[in-house]
This record gives sequence, C-alpha cells and structure tokens, in this order.
Amino acid sequence: MASDEKILFIDYARCIGCESCESACRFVHGRPRINMTRTVGGIMAPVYCRHCETAACVKGCTRGALMKSADGTVLLNPVLCAGCETKNCILACPFGGIFCTGLEDAVAKCDLCQHRRAMGMAPACVEICPCGAMHFVTREEAQALASPEYEAAHKKVMDHVRPVIVPLPRRQKG
Amino acid sequence: MPISGTPMNFAFAGSGPARTNGRSVAVIGAGPSGLAAAGFLSCLGYQVDVYDKLPKPGGLMVFGIPAERIPAERIAQGVEILSGRYGVRFHPGTKICDRRQADDTGDELSTRCIDLDELVRGHDAVMLCTGSWKPRRLNIPGDDLKNVYTGLAFLFPIRAAQYDKSRMSSIDVAGKNVVVVGAGFSAIDVAHGALGQGAARVSLIYRRTRREAPCGTHEIEQFEAAGGQWLELVTPIRVVEGEGERLGQVAGIECIQCHLGEPDEDGRRSAVPDSCAKVVLPADIIVGAIGETAAPPFAERLGLESVRKNEIHWLQMTRMDGVFVAGDALTGPSKIGKAVYSGLRAAQSLSRWLTLRAMSRELEYREDAPIRREDLR
Repeated sequence: MASDEKILFIDYARCIGCESCESACRFVHGRPRINMTRTVGGIMAPVYCRHCETAACVKGCTRGALMKSADGTVLLNPVLCAGCETKNCILACPFGGIFCTGLEDAVAKCDLCQHRRAMGMAPACVEICPCGAMHFVTREEAQALASPEYEAAHKKVMDHVRPVIVPLPRRQKG
Repeated sequence: MPISGTPMNFAFAGSGPARTNGRSVAVIGAGPSGLAAAGFLSCLGYQVDVYDKLPKPGGLMVFGIPAERIPAERIAQGVEILSGRYGVRFHPGTKICDRRQADDTGDELSTRCIDLDELVRGHDAVMLCTGSWKPRRLNIPGDDLKNVYTGLAFLFPIRAAQYDKSRMSSIDVAGKNVVVVGAGFSAIDVAHGALGQGAARVSLIYRRTRREAPCGTHEIEQFEAAGGQWLELVTPIRVVEGEGERLGQVAGIECIQCHLGEPDEDGRRSAVPDSCAKVVLPADIIVGAIGETAAPPFAERLGLESVRKNEIHWLQMTRMDGVFVAGDALTGPSKIGKAVYSGLRAAQSLSRWLTLRAMSRELEYREDAPIRREDLR
C-alpha cells in the first residue's frame, strides 16, 4: 500500500448534516458527487466515495470506465462510461458512493477534486465544512480518526445505505 | 473527534488572492451565505466589505448553533483567512437600517447604523445576506407572559454573553422547570442548554411522535439519556398564568392530546388534536423553539417576492440595480449548505453582471438556470 495515498474521511460523529459539502461540490462540479442522506433514526450523513484500495466498482465496470489512478484515486472516464445500461458500479459500491444522475453523464463520482489538487488546493468539501468533520488524510491517518463514536454512527448510516435484508422463509411445496 | 487539519476556507473557489480588479462590493450579513459570497468575490479580486449587526462574524453558525456542533474557532479561522489573506474588511456591530423594520433578535448588539442608499453609492454592487432572525411565536393565549421565550431568544444570550456581558444576560434556569415546545434541532439545543445550565427538569413537547420529529430519534434518545423528558402527541393551547406573587408570569402550559392523522403535503403524518384530553404541565419557563422566519430589510423596495418567483431577469438580483440577495433572506429558513450555495451562486451572478455591464454587453447575459425548489429543500 502506498502510504502517501490520500482519501476523504468524514467523521460522522462530528458531522451535523448541514449539507455545506454537498453545496460546495455542486458549485464546483455541477452535479454533486457527495450526497446527504438521513437514516430512519434521523442521523444526517453525507454518502461519499472511499477510494477503496481494491475497489469493487472498478471490478464491476464492464466498460473499463473506472480506473485506479497512480495516486490511488478511483477515477471515472466519462467517455467510456456514458450510456451504460448495467449500472454495475452503483450496485457494486458497498458505501453507496456512486450516484445515478439520470442525465447523459450517467453517473457522478468523486475524484477528490483532481483539478483543484493539481492547482494546489484541497477538495472543496473539506475546505467549506464548518464542523471540521471532513479530513483529507492518508489511509493510516483515517484509521486513527475512526473513534468508537464514529464507528457507531458509521454502522447506523451503512445499515441505512446497504440494509441487511433477511430472506423470507421459503414457501413449503405442496 | 479531532477537528480537520484543513482550515475553513470560504475563498475555496481559487488557490489564492487574485490581482485587484478595482471594484468593491458590500456584503450585508456575515453568516454562511454572506461569508461564502465574500470568499468567492475576493478570489476574483474584488475589494469586499462585510457588515454585520453582531460583534463577531459567523451569524447563526456562531450565535445560534452550540459550539459542540460547530466549533467557533473554526469559523473564526475562516474569517481570519478572508481578512488577513484576502483583505476583506469586516465591520461588526453595524446594522444596515430601515426605519420601518421591526427589531430582530441580536439588534441590541449593533452600535452603528448605515443607510442602504449610502452603501449602494459607496460600492459597485451590494449583496444582501441578512438571514432569518425573526422567531415564530407560539401564537396561543398567554404567549406574551413573562418567562415565555422563543428558541433564538433563549439560545442567543448563552452564546452572545461571552462577547458583550454588559448588554446581554442569559436566562436563569437553575432549579427551574423548563418546557420546550418543538422537535427541531433548535428545540434540542435549547433543551440541552437548559439541562447544562442546571434546570431542575426539562421537558420537550411535540405534537407528532418521535418518528416524525425533524431532529430524528437519535437526538431524542440522547436528550433522554441526558436526563430530559420527552412528551409526544401533545400540542400547547394556552400558557397558564400564575396567581398572587406570580401574576403575569408563567405557571404552566395547557396541552391537548393529539393523534396522528393523514400524511400532509410533505409526507409526514399530521397531528390532529383530540378535544377531550387536556392536561396542564407545570412550568416556570416556556421556550417555543418552532423556527424562525426571514424578515429581510427593504423587502418591498427590493421586490424580494419577485426575486423568489424568478421574475427578475438576472439571477438573484433585486429590483435595485446592482443589489443582489442570497441565503435565508431570500428563501426563508434553510440549512447552512443551502445558504452557502445560494451565496456562491449570487456572487457569481453579481460578478458576471459587473463584468458584462462594464463592457456594455449585458445583452449577452445567458440566463442561468434558477435555483430550483428541490435544490433548496
């Protein structure tokens, strides 16, 4: 693992669900690539791409439109993507971090503000978060930030994004 | 839960200050929309002056929302970057006045008054971001009694007392029985504030159930864990006045039992009062935390109603040339993120207007897609 790979880490225990991140993303990219969700219990949390080391979306994409870049960011190549009928990437992502737009650019996903970083800026959402809940850090640093309060809130949000569905009992034949 | 190492940066749109473009903009209001607009404009090289009625920039992010949720030092850091690095001039304690305007919460902290026309004359453009500071009243008999407060009137002194003790006094709740009406985040904040300041008993009353509560069940569980009392399916109908020594003061609140009816237009089941089951809850202090409304100054003169309906051709420009509006002042109470977005879009629109006008090319204005209702949910 390249230790200098940076990812986004959102401390769900600190986030108040104010939507500033989503707004900044919408302003910079047109279609937000980070989206606020609200669990049944009322926890507000932004859902976002984790830029996984072994990304299920990259494996799932039949067109090769998703790729891991040299710096570890999972990038979308819209030229290859447009018009995909399977939406495998959306289904594959365990974190709900790829979004269906319903427009010609079929999906929206975070690129950690690639063009901003090229100009020496941090991702827009990280700079505008009033709570200081968004961290642009290495994977190790992110692991260190995951407090028990975070884990508890994160589990509730993930249960909401990817609910565990208990299968119905099989109907008896005959 | 450490705070992010990346500083708050309202001027996030660019990588640093641009060469000055020789134009100046006044921003009225230093809340989320005003600061976002100021940040965007200073990235483009405008000289920005920010006026605010409060002694410190930040608006409700600093004076309404508790520091446990939004660290005040993070907002201060963002303001410091604007003033230190981008040369934004802050004018705290200054209200832009209109004689017809009724007083809002927080007016007591402003010491200076500037006329809108003076501001328009002194700058190339003006951005109005005054937010929503007019609390909604309970609107029941007795809501004018002593010790009945609005959520903002209760929270504001707790936060403001640290800036100007001589002029603000917190409401003394120690040992008292506090009833908070509402189930939004400000109701929860009031309830926690009252518990933290030593109230004997704090009850939250809500007309629907916790499943419908805007703050969510998680917050209510935390409130109960902190020792608070949650009462649901009750709506207040009258504030009960005390007798003898406590004449003119609160003694309790009369409530009526409700049940859940059909879903209303936003999909939540409505609360239907039952006529028979009434109860009086004893109370020393009642706080109606049922939200705020926007009461922007000069609303009529600026034609804000037409701006809301997108009748003015230039995005978020008011009836007065070069005066733009953004945030809660335009849309009514919303979330910080919506205010930020509105401020950014208005700032972009303002800059385009000034640029095209300077070249006499206003006709080339491309109609921006208006900010739709679903963007402002």
